[in-house]
Formats: sequence, structure tokens, C-alpha cells
Amino acid sequence: MVKSFREAGEIIQYKELLRNLVLMDIKKRYKRSALGFLWVMLDPLLMMTIFYAVFSGLFGASVGNYTAYVMSGITMWQFFSQGTKIGSIAFISNRALINKLYLPKSIFPISVVASSFVHFMFALIPLSVIIIVSGTHLSYSMLWLPLVVGLIFIFSLGVALAVSTLAVFFHDVIYIYDVLLMAWMYFSAIFYPLSILPQKVQILMSLNPVYHYITLFRACLYDATLPKTEHFALGAVFAVAAFLIGWSIYYRNKDRILFYL
Amino acid sequence: MITLRDVSVQYRLISEARRSTFQEYIIRYLKGKRVQTRPFLALRDISLDIDEGESLGIIGHNGAGKSTLLKVISGVIVPSGGTVRVQGKIAPLIELSAGFDHELTGRENIYLNASILGFSRREIADKYESIVKFAELEDFIDSPLKSYSSGMIARLGFSIATEIDPDILMVDEVLAVGDAHFKDKSKKRISEFRNRGITILFVSHNMEEVRNLCNRVLWLDHGSIKMIGDAAEVISEYETQQSHMKAGV
Repeated sequence: MVKSFREAGEIIQYKELLRNLVLMDIKKRYKRSALGFLWVMLDPLLMMTIFYAVFSGLFGASVGNYTAYVMSGITMWQFFSQGTKIGSIAFISNRALINKLYLPKSIFPISVVASSFVHFMFALIPLSVIIIVSGTHLSYSMLWLPLVVGLIFIFSLGVALAVSTLAVFFHDVIYIYDVLLMAWMYFSAIFYPLSILPQKVQILMSLNPVYHYITLFRACLYDATLPKTEHFALGAVFAVAAFLIGWSIYYRNKDRILFYL
Repeated sequence: MITLRDVSVQYRLISEARRSTFQEYIIRYLKGKRVQTRPFLALRDISLDIDEGESLGIIGHNGAGKSTLLKVISGVIVPSGGTVRVQGKIAPLIELSAGFDHELTGRENIYLNASILGFSRREIADKYESIVKFAELEDFIDSPLKSYSSGMIARLGFSIATEIDPDILMVDEVLAVGDAHFKDKSKKRISEFRNRGITILFVSHNMEEVRNLCNRVLWLDHGSIKMIGDAAEVISEYETQQSHMKAGV
């Protein structure tokens, strides 16, 4: 346990590398495009538009503020799914470095989730504009936003650490996780209201961590009601559990990663 | 100061050509067998003291464990047995281009690479000018690395690793970098390092270079220390054995 804190200390020591990994990732992604950095906001905007166009006809009538509902759901989902999906190959794609230099290896999955977080922060700008344009008011509960984002960040970190470590030993994990993400998205009440699900399935939904984060996010952004305590409590439990499990899977195997890359 | 005590490194070679999949793992697990691996001792019971300011040459045939030894000292590999103690900041020249990203410019790569070696933005900014100058890349520094020649990339890597004032420099066969002019320059810089009292670990197959640079030489053979001592003695013994082997064939 004490040793485990040492790696955490090293991550702080290597904060410049963490910053560079995130920065270079973003730079690289948009470098060769004419609109450049604008894509950080355009990309989620177009994504949101497509989902809205597809699903508004289906569920638009049954949810108030449907635009805000679906767009905020997608934005939050993208943060989680992008971070953990790209994170799943974090060790594999940095094989050359891990093989040649000493580094606190967890910096790679952490940087991927951090990079996804930066994208998410930029996506908040078009998201807020859309919410206002669609005639919904932003809410004062926004003050809770940092806490909600913090929870999903910790949750994503735990999942990314677990999946990226397991993927080193079994490449199948990458593909399994990909399919899992797809199913997970449809089960997260992103573009349909929870009420269309049968009662039994609704109860099951409380076992879906992402559902809690998305619900909290919506409540903070535009729903005038205060975020519900039960979502906070469950969300926090899932975040801490995911992080502890992910970290211990990583930490137990970190010295063996090199030999299996 | 570097101290190794009874250091062993055991790789687990997967004995099948194919990687093991989850499915195979489960089947084997149910049969009560774990993944089939064959242990391979890359280093066995190495005990070694390297003093501050010493230049140690490391020689031996391919696969003798020379690079593994450097990796153990730099912390890339955690040994399966024994202890390693290292005091001081290490600049590994193990492979110069490992940290480079070819989509990024030379300037961006300098910052990325120096932070991989654990340096802060301020420290990097202070060294930036002299890194570029030594690499002689002033005109190309804002072009992406993929437009560089391999010699230019090697120059940049060498320049970064040596400009950042390490306490311990690890050199693994890199003196064959760039053209004759740059080779001279880099040799000169490594000699300067030695004169300034920086510890150098030098892996090479070029006995001439080892003799020039190192006062002590370690000869590794199949992961064990075959001989360690005065450079001239160890090298002449090694060369005798090499010529015997040639004569034997």
C-alpha cells in the first residue's frame, strides 16, 4: 500500500509529461485539418446533431427539453467511452517507450482519460449554446458540476486502468470491451426516457454507474431541481470501487506488463 | 553510485508461436495448467559496484544480457531476484528515437522527450537553444519529424539526452550516429562527460571505442559475469576467445 502511494507521487513528479501527452494528443489529432482546433467543438456538435436528428422523432414527445436531454447524455457518454476505449490500448500503443525507459506506466492510461476530459470541457461550450438556443434555461445547480465530473473522471480512470492492464495479457479484452461499450451505451438512457423501460429493468438501471453520472449531469445543467442524493451516493460508491479495483489490477501486474507487450 | 547484489532477471518466454488468447487461457485453466511459458534467465546472480565518475564498458556476444543489464539499472525491468540501488539521474541513450513522435515537429519533440526523461518545462526551455544548436537542426526545428532523415533524428536524440546534465549516461551502441562530422562531435562530448566525472555505462561491440573510453570493462556471457577488471586485460582476453571461436569454426 505504501509503495502504491510512491507511484502516485511519481505521477505528480512527471506532471510535465502528463501535460505534454495530453497536449500533443490534441495537437496531433487536429493538426492537419483546415479548421484545426475548432474540431474540438465541431466534432461533438455534429455528433449531437446526428443523434438528435435520429432520435427526436422517436422520443421527442415523451421527454420535456428533449434536445437538452439527448445532447447532455451524449456529451457525458462520449467522455467516458472515448477515454476508456482509447485507454484500453494505452500500454500496447506505448510499447516502445515502456520497453526503453523507466516511467510510472500508469501515466499512459491516465493521460488518455485526461485528454478525453479536455475534449469534454470544450464540448461543454457548444452544449451550453444548444441548450440555451433550444429554449431551456441553464440551472443554478451547475455549481455541482465539478463534483459530478470528478466522479465520472475517477470512474473512467479505474475502468481504463483495469481494461488497459488486462488487454496486455489478453488482447481479446480490447474487442470484448468494444462490444460491451456499445451495449452499455444503449442501456444508459441517453436518447430515451427511463420511463419507457419495464419496471424491472428500471430497477436494474441503478446498477449502471454511467446512468447515475448522466442523470446528475442533466440535473446540474438544465433541470432546476437539485441533483438527487441517491445518485450522488451510488455514483460515488461506483467511482471509488472502480478506481480501487482498476488500480490494484494495474499495480499487481505492472512489473509483468513489459514481458507481455 | 550503482550497486547490484545477486541480481537475476527471468523472462517468461511464451513457448508457442501464437499469443495466448482468453479462450486458450480458460481451457488451460480448467485443465489446471497456466499459460505455457518457459523460463529464460537473462541475467543470473550479478553483483556489481560502479563508482561515481567511472566509465564502465560492457561487452559480450549478442544475447549475453548487456541491454538487459542497462534496463535493470535504469529501472525499466524489475529484477526477479536481488537488489538494485542507483543514486543520481540517468540519461538513457538506449535507443535514441524511442520517445519521438513523427507527426510532431522537432521543437515539440524536444519538449515531449525531455519530459519523458523527467524534466520540467523551465529546465527544458533553458536547454532548448543549445539542444537545437548541437544537433545542427536550426532550419528544420519547426518541421515534423517525418520529414527528417534518420541521421537528423539520431542527432536530435543524442543532443537531448546529453544536453540535460545527467549523473549517469547509458550508451548502447549509439556512437555510430550520423555522418563522420557528427560522430566526431558526439565522441568528443562523451569524452567531456567522462572528464567532468559523470558515470558512463557503455555497451559496444567496437573494442577500439571501449578501450578509448573506459577504464574498467565487464564481460557478460550468457547472463553471467565472465570477467570484470582492467579494460586492456578484459578486452584482450575477450578478443583471444573470439579468435579461438573463429578458428574453431
